[in-house]
Amino acid sequence: MKYSYYPGCAQHGTAVDYRISVEAVFGRLGIELEEIKNWNCCGALHVPDRTVKTALCARTLASAKGLDMATPCNLCYSNLMRTNTALQDNVLRTMVNEALTEKYDGNTKPKHLLEVIVKDLGLPKLMEFVKQPLKIKAVPYYGCLLTRPENNFDSPEDPKSLDNLISSLGAEPVKYYYKTKCCAGPILITNEDLALGLAKELLAMAKETGADCIVVTCPMCHLQLDAKQKAVEAKFNIKIDLPIIYFTQLMGLAMGFDPKELGLSRHLVPTDKLIAKIGGK
Amino acid sequence: MKKEPLSPESRDPAFKEQVLKTPAGEKIQTCMQCGICAGSCPVSHEMDHSPRELVRMVQLGLKREVLSSNTIWICTTCFSCSVRCPRGIHPTELMEMLKPIAIAEGIRNKNIKFDNVFSDVIKNNGRASEFLLISKYSLTEPGMINQLPFGLSMMAKGKIPLSIDRMENTRELDAIFKLGEKTGEPKKESKETKEKDKQPEQTKPEENEIAEGEAKK
Repeated sequence: MKYSYYPGCAQHGTAVDYRISVEAVFGRLGIELEEIKNWNCCGALHVPDRTVKTALCARTLASAKGLDMATPCNLCYSNLMRTNTALQDNVLRTMVNEALTEKYDGNTKPKHLLEVIVKDLGLPKLMEFVKQPLKIKAVPYYGCLLTRPENNFDSPEDPKSLDNLISSLGAEPVKYYYKTKCCAGPILITNEDLALGLAKELLAMAKETGADCIVVTCPMCHLQLDAKQKAVEAKFNIKIDLPIIYFTQLMGLAMGFDPKELGLSRHLVPTDKLIAKIGGK
Repeated sequence: MKKEPLSPESRDPAFKEQVLKTPAGEKIQTCMQCGICAGSCPVSHEMDHSPRELVRMVQLGLKREVLSSNTIWICTTCFSCSVRCPRGIHPTELMEMLKPIAIAEGIRNKNIKFDNVFSDVIKNNGRASEFLLISKYSLTEPGMINQLPFGLSMMAKGKIPLSIDRMENTRELDAIFKLGEKTGEPKKESKETKEKDKQPEQTKPEENEIAEGEAKK
């Protein structure tokens, strides 16, 4: 299995832990992620000009070299998916292509890494790699942009792929009514009070389920729930202390990796209790 | 939340037309005010006007009220409204489309400052380096100094590198950003694209069954 790989900006910054775990886990699964050369930002949610954003994503999609394009970030995934749909329009594609050295033909398929695991690799195959079934309870948190506004592998209202992944690793996915509710990451910088309020709702509800951790698929969600967890605790005078784990880190733990090889020491919320419960070092 | 009264005098048919001819505005006229958008929105309680109201205001051509509302800037772009609207209106896309119009009309706020910093960083480097973004934004928003301890805790974990991540070659970006200056408005998509847009593929039923079987163990 080989994919053209679009890491997105966060992998070189706030999501360095995600990157470490992706490299470890995908390496062992034998899934080749070939990073595209000289890649650019997808525009995130902060390049207001839609045409510019479309062109930024078109440039990325054009560099896939006939392979499917995998990406670890919900935001990048959502932007690539939307752009790809919009670029099926010949007029728009021709206009955008004027600015690109490598022209886009409209034929690249963007895929989130979770989709690569649950749909392309398949969970039965993944289970062959599980060395240490995880006897923990985990909250499956999908966030917004993994399934909305469009995706090719799960329901936007009640997605199941992450629940199923958690089960296949031997852990128990808890019922979590906020699984697709927004974490407000995109407005964190400009409207912190509101953003922390939303994060608090998610964290408090997750805590109530009695789970050992929240599993995420997106660097923005991780930033909000892990890095900002202390700020939420301080603002609302509550104790959460809930580790936020990337799904690739959860896979890595079940596959027998040392937590250090998965970037778990780089989280702001300590992960040692979780690791001890799993029986890791 | 203080709401400005809506006055019929402020109606602007040209604005309405401008919005209706974009892909995001195409179905605005079919809105039946059911409110599922407002009910689905995680932040509508903080908005001057809920997404439902905003759609109605566009129908009425209330340009000033629409563009000066905080609604389009508070939207977290979560698309809950877009996937639920029974009329196929995409309020999230509507908000996105209104942003450049508001900027062009001279509206100024924190969000626009951040978007400008972000766009500049991308234009010059091709990638969003957190360190560069936050330091540049802090120059315009002195309150950001309060985030210093947080920034340092992120740095201590190696999550905000001081080295600026940039593309090896940013030559193409000029042409890409010029495209924005040239076109200004988003172009209308063809019918064919719209049909495809409406029906995203779902997981095949047999795959769901297998997957659910595993979930129950």
